[in-house]
Amino acid sequence: MSVKLHDLITKVRESTTTSGIREIISEECVQIRNAFRKEDTKNRPRNISKLIYIDFLGFPTDFGQVECLKLIAHTSYVCKRIGYLGLSVLLTENEEVLFMSTNIIRNDLASENKFIVALALSSLGNIGSVEMLRDLAPEVEKLLKSQTAYIRKKAALTAIRTIRFVPETVDRFVGCVKSLLSDKNHGVVVGGIQLLIEILKIEPKSISEFRKLVPGLLRMLKSLVDAGYAPEYDFEGVTDPFLQVFILRLLRILGKDSKKYSNQMIDILTQVGTSSGLNKNVENCILYESVSTILTVESPNRLRVTAINTLSKFLSGKDNNMKYVALNTLLKGVNKDSKSLKRHRKVIVKCLRDKDISIRRRALDLVFGIMNKKNVKELTQELLDCLPKAEHDFRFDITAKVCTAIEKFSPDDQWQIDTLVQVLTIGGQYIRDDVIAIMTHVTGRNQELQYYASKKLYNSLLDDRYRNQKFIQVAAWVIGEFGDILLKKSIEENESIDPSQIIDLCQIIITSSRNDDLTKYFILNTLIKLSTRIEGFNETIKEIIKPFMKHVNIEIQQRACEYFRLFEDKELLVFSFDRIPVKDDNMEKQEIETVQEDQTANENSMKNTNTQENTDQQFSPNNNQSGQGTEMNIMGGNNVVSQNKTQETSSIENLLQLDFNNNNNNQNVNKQTTNIQNQQSNQSTEDFLSDIFGTNNNPNSNNTQNVQNTKIQNVMGILGTENGMGTGRGTGMGTGMGTGTGRGMGRGMGTGMGTGMGTGMGKGMGRGMGRGNVNTQKKNPSAIIYNQDGLKIQMNFKLVSVNGIPAAMVQTIFTNSTPTPMTDLIFQVAVPKHLQVQMAPPSSKIIPANNIGKVTQTFRVIKKQNIKIKLAMMTRIQYKINGMPISKQQEVKNLPLIF
Amino acid sequence: MIKFILIVNKLGQTRLAQYYTTGLSINKRVALENEITRRCLSRKDKECSFLEFRDLKVIYRRYASLFFLVGVDEEENELGILEFIHCLVETLDKYFENVCELDLMFNIDKAYMILDEMALNGNIIETNKKNIIAPLHIIDQVSKKLK
Repeated sequence: MSVKLHDLITKVRESTTTSGIREIISEECVQIRNAFRKEDTKNRPRNISKLIYIDFLGFPTDFGQVECLKLIAHTSYVCKRIGYLGLSVLLTENEEVLFMSTNIIRNDLASENKFIVALALSSLGNIGSVEMLRDLAPEVEKLLKSQTAYIRKKAALTAIRTIRFVPETVDRFVGCVKSLLSDKNHGVVVGGIQLLIEILKIEPKSISEFRKLVPGLLRMLKSLVDAGYAPEYDFEGVTDPFLQVFILRLLRILGKDSKKYSNQMIDILTQVGTSSGLNKNVENCILYESVSTILTVESPNRLRVTAINTLSKFLSGKDNNMKYVALNTLLKGVNKDSKSLKRHRKVIVKCLRDKDISIRRRALDLVFGIMNKKNVKELTQELLDCLPKAEHDFRFDITAKVCTAIEKFSPDDQWQIDTLVQVLTIGGQYIRDDVIAIMTHVTGRNQELQYYASKKLYNSLLDDRYRNQKFIQVAAWVIGEFGDILLKKSIEENESIDPSQIIDLCQIIITSSRNDDLTKYFILNTLIKLSTRIEGFNETIKEIIKPFMKHVNIEIQQRACEYFRLFEDKELLVFSFDRIPVKDDNMEKQEIETVQEDQTANENSMKNTNTQENTDQQFSPNNNQSGQGTEMNIMGGNNVVSQNKTQETSSIENLLQLDFNNNNNNQNVNKQTTNIQNQQSNQSTEDFLSDIFGTNNNPNSNNTQNVQNTKIQNVMGILGTENGMGTGRGTGMGTGMGTGTGRGMGRGMGTGMGTGMGTGMGKGMGRGMGRGNVNTQKKNPSAIIYNQDGLKIQMNFKLVSVNGIPAAMVQTIFTNSTPTPMTDLIFQVAVPKHLQVQMAPPSSKIIPANNIGKVTQTFRVIKKQNIKIKLAMMTRIQYKINGMPISKQQEVKNLPLIF
Repeated sequence: MIKFILIVNKLGQTRLAQYYTTGLSINKRVALENEITRRCLSRKDKECSFLEFRDLKVIYRRYASLFFLVGVDEEENELGILEFIHCLVETLDKYFENVCELDLMFNIDKAYMILDEMALNGNIIETNKKNIIAPLHIIDQVSKKLK
């Protein structure tokens, strides 16, 4: 006997415990299953309704999917309705069952009953999968021209889904849009406008054609605005606000970057934008949309000022919703009108202290948006004032913004250091990992600052050694790096600091159980650096380091052992921990101009892996990710390229270029593996790498270790993880010791130990090579292998040779044109048997939205047999968008590369 | 575009859920609903009706014991969505005559029909109450005759 939905709900509501509900539901599910098995057609709609309810409660209902199909195939409307409802609630587009419904939907779309057609359209529009939408696109197009307005409006929205999922069908619908816009039924017009907006997103080129619609749209808007009381579409005295909003939104898109059409809009925008509003939500809603439109299109200044004033009225009002949208709009229009915005700074800053987190977050973004060199001091202070009172999550946002402000807008160096120390003191635990990179950047320039920073940090650490870990780490780095300057200058200023006091402080920190392992690495580095900078403390430092040779953390243990041994070779010690070279800002500019640097850097990183694998001088791996053992080795570790973060420009990546350019020492660097050498040999003289390879290539060197072995890895990555720490140091050290005397390498080691400078160098080098390679790159073919759902994948091919066998270096570039970032990207490639593929990891797992950035991943295809073939491959792309996993597999043929 | 429309009661139990994005497994959906509801319900009356959650913006409004939550992306007019929620509530009210939680639960299919008339594929389509309810009335009459 099947219970009614009503009774089931009552039963569930009567149950007070979760386990009770679970029992009722599982019992009911058994009943429903049995009914399905017995083909109980009479109760099928009721059972599906119950399943929908069960689904809301969060229980699995997948066994009902096939029954939904049976229901929609039924002739009765009531059954169909429940069936389609079940289909959209119980199913997702990834289910195969859905595809089976394609034909039923096709039949229903051709039905004479408009309600059945509408049902089919709705469910196709809500849940249709790519295949279904592609198959049914002709039917949807036909229905757009239907006699019934009720169907036309639904077809318009189904068309939106069709072009969103299957962009190539867009041509089908372009022709129908105009007639939809001139429809009498408001619903159809609303659908038509939204369809047009979607078409313009996919086909931005067609905008000039659709701009001709502007006068008509303006007329429509005007009639709505001027219309008196229209009972059908009246919302508290406003006629169809939704249609008005949609028209304004479309005008915004059409008027953008077009002076001519923007001018046509001025009158009506002035009329709408200056209407009183501020009382009712409906009025504000239109006002808000019109302000966004005014700020986006090419409107005259006076109109813009009015718009911004309206927003500031919103801001100073009591309604939090208005505040929120005002901040949001100001944020979008911030670049164009920063002058008029600045007048409202006080109001915005006040919002930073609002009780509502949504408003505070928006205000923070906006404060950052209006920041420049002139007001950075005040605004940063405001941010810092908010920090102690903010809640946990928000603190991360604030410190991140402060750090960026310090880097980007700094008016003077001393302020930078003061602010950095301040933010470290009050919010150190919430700060992002690259703060040390900022510090190295800031202090790199002159001795005064180095002294100032080290004195400031040292004194505050002396006052209170229980500061947060980040603070201690930064202080440790600075004191280690500039310890000698600190001592020297303090004597000059008659505030002499006792060197033993510094060492004592280090000892206290490193032995304290309050401090974590990362901090201990930093202190170890500080100590070893101080041993080269301050005379007479070697024995003390050795004594401090000694116990750590048996430390439980393998990284610390290894490091302590290595340092301990280094004391035996004074010369090497001193030279290894030499101060990092000063960063040259001009170099950085050059870097930015070079477009392809990152690409080639990636390629190089891969070459590195392979060259390194071939070397006979293998060090024990200490990279946790490589999954190999962590056996102790005094020489340091060798690692396999694990991560290749090419995010922002690291502040120090270029340091070594200068170093190399000045490197007149005839210390042999190393012998290159021939292929790379060949590639690099025709570079310009500016390219320091070719300098090295060209002039310093010493055939006597018996070491095939490659300079490039220093990993191309971002400093931030290094600072962030234990792994990274090991990497920077391990490689730098390995190479330095291995080649015996390479000065550049030695530097790599010293700095690598400090802050991951070694890898900064690696990157600098990779980039250097990249610049050299630009000339050859241009000739290389490329192809777009995938362009769907906003994800575009481009492949750049390049022929190289590996030990004499031709190979293809393929650089894959991922870009994302959707407004949401794609996360958890996995890209896999399979090639035919006679080929072999070696993949480097992607530069990031997240593809930023709106084409803002790109992700690159490089792989190499090597031939196993030396026959001439055309490259073909199978690719699989997996990513998540809005947390939803998407997986696509496709064969890539006809690539423009034969090798 | 609208990503989802949720109706929950003040205990956080889902009474209606319509997703316009696909591919969410039931576990993830339940987790998402719980998280969003928890956050919205804990907000105070005076705070604004918008909540940023991951890459979504949730616009919510409370009517007696029911919360109406709408998840949207960046492009949507937040105030417009508030108005849409209001329109939805008024329509439900008009059809059910003083709508309450139980009306929605017992007549979930009708509630869905109303929603389907008003929005499709994450886009607003019809906001005229009479137009929305008209098809429902026709269907009600026909099914009465059948009985």
